[in-house]
Amino acid sequence: MSGTVARTPAETRPASKEPDVPGGRGRKWFESRVLPWLLLGPAIVMIFGLVVYPVLRTGWLSFHDAGLASLVSGATEWVGLDNYATVLRDPHLRRVVIVTAVFGLSCVAATMVIGVAVALLLNQRFVGRGLLAVLVLLPWAMPRVAAATVWRWLFNDQYGVVNWLLTTVGLDRFAGYAWFNYPIPAFIAIGTTVVWGSFPFVALSVLAGLQAVPDEVRDAARIDGAGPWQRQRHVVLPLLKPLLLVLTVISTIWDFKVFDQVYIMTGGGPARQTEVLAIATWREAFTQLDFGLASSLAMVMFVLLVAITILYIRLAAEDEGLS
Amino acid sequence: MRRTYRVLLYLAAIAVGLFSVFPLAWMVITSIKPTDQILTSVPVFWPTSPVVTRYVEVIERGFLTFLRNSLVVSVSTTLIGVAVAAFAGYTLARFDLPLKRYLLLLVLSVQMFPLVVLIIPFFSVMRSLGLLDSYIGLVITYLSFSTPLAVWILRGFFQGIPQDLEEAAMVDGATRMGAIMRVVMPLAGPGLAACGIFVFIAAWNEFIFALTFISDEDMRTLPVALQSFIGRGQTDFGAIMAMSTLFTAPVVIFFLLVHRRLTSGMVAGAVKG
Repeated sequence: MSGTVARTPAETRPASKEPDVPGGRGRKWFESRVLPWLLLGPAIVMIFGLVVYPVLRTGWLSFHDAGLASLVSGATEWVGLDNYATVLRDPHLRRVVIVTAVFGLSCVAATMVIGVAVALLLNQRFVGRGLLAVLVLLPWAMPRVAAATVWRWLFNDQYGVVNWLLTTVGLDRFAGYAWFNYPIPAFIAIGTTVVWGSFPFVALSVLAGLQAVPDEVRDAARIDGAGPWQRQRHVVLPLLKPLLLVLTVISTIWDFKVFDQVYIMTGGGPARQTEVLAIATWREAFTQLDFGLASSLAMVMFVLLVAITILYIRLAAEDEGLS
Repeated sequence: MRRTYRVLLYLAAIAVGLFSVFPLAWMVITSIKPTDQILTSVPVFWPTSPVVTRYVEVIERGFLTFLRNSLVVSVSTTLIGVAVAAFAGYTLARFDLPLKRYLLLLVLSVQMFPLVVLIIPFFSVMRSLGLLDSYIGLVITYLSFSTPLAVWILRGFFQGIPQDLEEAAMVDGATRMGAIMRVVMPLAGPGLAACGIFVFIAAWNEFIFALTFISDEDMRTLPVALQSFIGRGQTDFGAIMAMSTLFTAPVVIFFLLVHRRLTSGMVAGAVKG
């Protein structure tokens, strides 16, 4: 945890060593003790006011019963762990937590597999590689709301390209298939959209990692008789393990908090069956106006993500130690 | 063997390229098709008589208002966020401060927060201050995710600028603040611009806060306007795709301009810390 943020080139030399500048002692004191805090001040105020305070406030609300009127007036009633008990007891909310985890992890797995495969592809020599590297960026560049809108159109039952493609290759049951009428097909459509938007980051990061592997390592493996597949599998990928772990954790964080794609493509339907945690939280708050319960759902998600983030920071620190 | 390998390689490259580009291409193609070529069970991949009437229609239905809203909010967020983050990023790159490690950890982890955790307190505060349906309300909430992001990116950029120049300026009699304003910031210009574009894209794409805090139709930003366009049981796919295209185009152009800095910056930030 400590190594993550501390060891950087600029800081390896003593940062507080001030150049021998003209000017009195007062100025030196001001410039080394006061000025940094003045420069940091606005950012610290913003981060505490706009992130730390709201998180604490959500945590506080999660132990209260708060409707719209009491949320605004502040006259909320302390209910202890009732909201959390509801999350555990309510079959729908319990399902939401499980569905979020299953959906999130499936998206992560698909993103990592496709991302690594595309990186290995881009690491080969072929005509048009530069063009492909730019094309692969496009899904990352497209706003999530627009991407979800377009994918919804691609998955349209009557006129969608996906159904046309599937029937053309012989899967006749997809003629007029309604993807958004059942939860699993709907999640496949949403998952496709999520993975489409997130594989480029993984692919380009892994590609950068692959290109940083020194040629000598590959050459040595070749001389020792390893074929191209064995070189990737047993020599290059193990070297990239720390990077892959970090990317897996980042993807997990992204995919557990998915909101936009679900909201645009199904809105949580049919019959709330495609609700994930972010959608359920939003719905409890802004359509049911149960801000206490919504806060406890938000905290469940927050704690899950903090756990994943701590894992991420640990891994990043280990990565530092290795390199 | 070698030949099969080459064929497979090119097939894979074509498949990946199509998968990446097709949704964007299809969006643009659909937006310029005549209606009878959109609603077909066998897709028409190349429209025979392209039309631009949908773009006119989208503009008539308030696109310029939504565009103005999005621009006002995104540009304000960018200017404030980058200005605040520039000084903070510089300080975190140069000074050795107590608790600095914890501050950096906070900045890093804040980027992982789900926005939905912040949304209820924001809603109640803005409702009591009367800031729902206002630019100021949106800009304030957007600073919650853009400031930490910008601090993190800019700290990286400042670390890449050698200290010697500002030290020379200080030896020549400049104050630290003078050196920052006249030596460091101009050198960081390209970094500040790239970071600004990054923040702009994040604000431009933001959906959940705008969805929650804006109910007045004339105050909608583009993502919310696009969503409400679909939400009304709208089946005019051509118009929907025209609006998506107008919403997507500026971001894609910006992104392609700065992606080199972004990828190296993000990966360095994410992986190396």
